[in-house]
Amino acid sequence: MDIFLQQLANGLTIGSMFALVALGYTMVYGVMKLINFAHGDMVAASAFVGLTVYTQVMGQATSLAAVVVIFLLTAAIMACVGIVLERVAYRPLREAPRLSAVVSALGASLVIQNGIMLIWGPRMKIFPELVPQVYWDLGGVVISLIQVLILGLSLVLMVGLYLFVEKTRMGAAVRASSIDQDAARLMGINVNSIIALIFIIGSSLGAIGGLFIGLYYRGITFNMGWQYGLYAFIAAILGGIGNIPGAMLGGMLLGLFNAFIAGYVSSTWADAFTFILLIVILIVRPTGLLGERVAEKV
Amino acid sequence: MNNYQRIVFPLFVVVMAVLPTLLNPRWQAVAITFLIFSVVALSQDIVLGKAGMFNMGQALFFGMGAYITAILNYKFGWPILATIPLAILLPALFGIILAGPIVHLRGDYLLVVTIGFNIVFVQVLQNNLGGVTGGPNGIFGLDSLSLFGAKLTSQLAVYYFAFAVLLLTLWVMRNLEKSKAGRALHYLREDQLAAESIGINTRIYKVFAFGLGAGISGLAVTVYATQYAAVSPEAFEFIVSVLFFSIVLVGGSSIPGVMLGVFVMFVVPEIFREFATWRYFVFGFAMILAMILRPRGIWPATFGKIPKYLIKGGSHGA
Repeated sequence: MDIFLQQLANGLTIGSMFALVALGYTMVYGVMKLINFAHGDMVAASAFVGLTVYTQVMGQATSLAAVVVIFLLTAAIMACVGIVLERVAYRPLREAPRLSAVVSALGASLVIQNGIMLIWGPRMKIFPELVPQVYWDLGGVVISLIQVLILGLSLVLMVGLYLFVEKTRMGAAVRASSIDQDAARLMGINVNSIIALIFIIGSSLGAIGGLFIGLYYRGITFNMGWQYGLYAFIAAILGGIGNIPGAMLGGMLLGLFNAFIAGYVSSTWADAFTFILLIVILIVRPTGLLGERVAEKV
Repeated sequence: MNNYQRIVFPLFVVVMAVLPTLLNPRWQAVAITFLIFSVVALSQDIVLGKAGMFNMGQALFFGMGAYITAILNYKFGWPILATIPLAILLPALFGIILAGPIVHLRGDYLLVVTIGFNIVFVQVLQNNLGGVTGGPNGIFGLDSLSLFGAKLTSQLAVYYFAFAVLLLTLWVMRNLEKSKAGRALHYLREDQLAAESIGINTRIYKVFAFGLGAGISGLAVTVYATQYAAVSPEAFEFIVSVLFFSIVLVGGSSIPGVMLGVFVMFVVPEIFREFATWRYFVFGFAMILAMILRPRGIWPATFGKIPKYLIKGGSHGA
């Protein structure tokens, strides 16, 4: 029972990081029907940007205010990178064959990943201890302050995003663009700015996810983006790609699944089990858990 | 097309046949790598370019071929050449078995599932399932080529072996294009629904494309295993599949385009060795730029002999 509760806590923590990153994939996919392969590397880059902001801009301060500034500044920088990414690599290919955009996304991924390597070097960096190491022992289950923070902040962000998309006019424009871009344009929605908005939101949520990854795992490497990106992307598919609550649910479920596999089976097989789960789900229910069945377009 | 067949292709064969005698051993090794990866890229082209299925797990199939050769040679003492039939058949069979339940998936979903297969495969290798894959280190110390008991240890022998494999592959691809199966794959790629409505069993042909692609790449890596005398899991990571995926699409999924892609990806970096750390950074930009300037690839494939005036927009088959 202790293992169960412990892995539940770990799984929820990992899951909320997956969910934050998955939101970036699912929103871009929803509107542009494109797997943004560069998103995982954006997440990795944000951990490094956060590290630099901490050492260069904040002078290694770890007060609460300083941590808040590090988070906001990193998210803002990554949002700008996201806009540039969309302008340079994706906008010129909006009307091109689907696969061309996929290759462009892969190219962007290589550029960002190797850009990190060229700037920060190929070795693993240690992410600073921004949050004090506080642990609570709840009857055999150890929970850290970092875990509580990650879970709490992720939930707040996700609820905020959900309310934004469901309750505001701009959110309605996002939903309309993801259902039918042309119809949305006819209704007077500026689809280009919606796409820019999506990249801003997705990249800054991914940036926070990347900082969480740094805080939680401590070691950050230039090529970790593929790993976390793939997991987050699987989470998005599990929940039904293009579906925002689906990405949150998928992320949480995937985190739990991963934690329980690591706890009960073996951590060296976690990837394999995760992908087998994905393959089974895609074969049985290709639209994901919350995805709607799309009628075949003829 | 005619010019290409009459002049360029024989010229290419002649140049490639005399090439190794002009090169020093280091460049011979590069040329062998070029030949091997050309075959792998062409096998990916059958699935991705010809049949239009988003396969991002080709490293699974050529990794499997390499491991079959390595295990049969290292553990059971088979000569390298004797492992070829199994190195073709088993990946092909596996391709068919894996493709069976997933080929109905569309576009991006298929892409993700094939990535998944690739990652499961690498993890199986790393965890040394069944105790035959050598774990994360792989298998070292394979035999060199031998024919009827005579050892062919020189690089030249490996080169001509690889060259023969490439010619065989080109022959298969040419026949494929002119055959019923090739036409079926082409229609399938252009419009699946239309292909079905004129009586093409799309499922069978999709599985066939996967099987053929897997078999050819299995053959290619028999040479790979000989050349490096070793196989290890990281050579078949899914990032390798990503490279071949990109090569086919940037090249334009035509034979010259794909081989040009292989040349740029694997030979050009050998020329600029001192800039090795910039390699993928530059490639990333090149991929974006190539797609923006030529969305259908640098050398787009054409199909059949349809007169130009019949083709709307002039972009047929690409």
